[in-house]
Amino acid sequence: MNELVLTLGWLGIYAPMALGAAASAIGCSIAGMASIGAMTETEGGYGRFVGVSAFPSTMVIYGIVIMFTLNRDVTPENAGGLFGIGILSGIALMYCGIWQGRACAAAINATKEKPEIFGLSLAPAAIIEGFGVFAFVFALVISAGIS
Amino acid sequence: MSDPDAYIALVSSLPGSERLFVAKQPPLSRLRLDRRLTALTPEDARVLRVLEHALNWGDYDMDVTDAQAIERCKEALRDIPQPTLRKLFLERMDLRTTAAALRLRKQGGSPSSGTFGMGRWTRHIPANWTDPSFRLEGPMPWIKEAKQLLDAEDPLGLERLLLSVSHKQLKKHAARHLFDFEAVAIYVLIWNIFDRWAQSNAQDAVKRFEHLAQQAMAGVAEIDIDGASA
Repeated sequence: MNELVLTLGWLGIYAPMALGAAASAIGCSIAGMASIGAMTETEGGYGRFVGVSAFPSTMVIYGIVIMFTLNRDVTPENAGGLFGIGILSGIALMYCGIWQGRACAAAINATKEKPEIFGLSLAPAAIIEGFGVFAFVFALVISAGIS
Repeated sequence: MSDPDAYIALVSSLPGSERLFVAKQPPLSRLRLDRRLTALTPEDARVLRVLEHALNWGDYDMDVTDAQAIERCKEALRDIPQPTLRKLFLERMDLRTTAAALRLRKQGGSPSSGTFGMGRWTRHIPANWTDPSFRLEGPMPWIKEAKQLLDAEDPLGLERLLLSVSHKQLKKHAARHLFDFEAVAIYVLIWNIFDRWAQSNAQDAVKRFEHLAQQAMAGVAEIDIDGASA
């Protein structure tokens, strides 16, 4: 039984990093495909498209920081807490990354026709980033209570 | 439901549609559009072909009967699995059925049986044949204007109204589909509306050119080769 609990603890430590990496990969790929499509139809502003498609890469950074914060000796007493915080923050980061990628793709698609809305079109992606930051910060706060 | 991210690069590579009736040409040529559509999977490409084939007037013979056209639309409907595309197809059939009924009544005709056309109103329209708007003002608020244009014998105005209504219907569905197959299909159907409008303008221009040319050439017979009037 103890082995299972300890395994869950280790899973919780690595989950934010793994799920954050998956989120960034999927999100950047979605936004990247949109930027490639937009480049075939526009005459300039390619750097902006590529820059926007890199937005979801922040999720893996948050995941790495959470992983280091959770990283400690896993005991039967703290394994449950590590598992809960790690898995749930990882899932939150994953959803944020994927949907931020979609929001960035929509922004790129809209911006190719109307460059003047570039800043405003990024607002949904920025709001999603805010939710990712919530998941990140409160994972750090809560993890301080785990022995 | 299609994969929501299936055609991100394809949709992003399509130029945005300008405002209908303001644009002189579709936003890109059919050749370029077809080149972009090679990114579709074989199954999606087949569904799009079926949809376009059933909706494009150019693919119908001039002497096609109502029964043949309806059968072709029913066959197409069986081949379209996406609920959104089925819905917009049926909406277009409703529009065409109603416009055809208005034209038939204007010519003094009446439906040969208890049903007319295809869609939701096949029984409703014959049952309300004498009502100016077939009692469809609620679901089809444009019908009053369509009847006025038909009575005023303004076919171009009526064409413009029907294309505008079709365009609005497509835009309504497009808002719920960003990068999936439905988004691509809706874009192609909007492109077809632009193309049809551009063609109708071109046909109008040719007619006007012929009229002006005939006017200009009318006096030519009266001028001899030396420049002296006959």
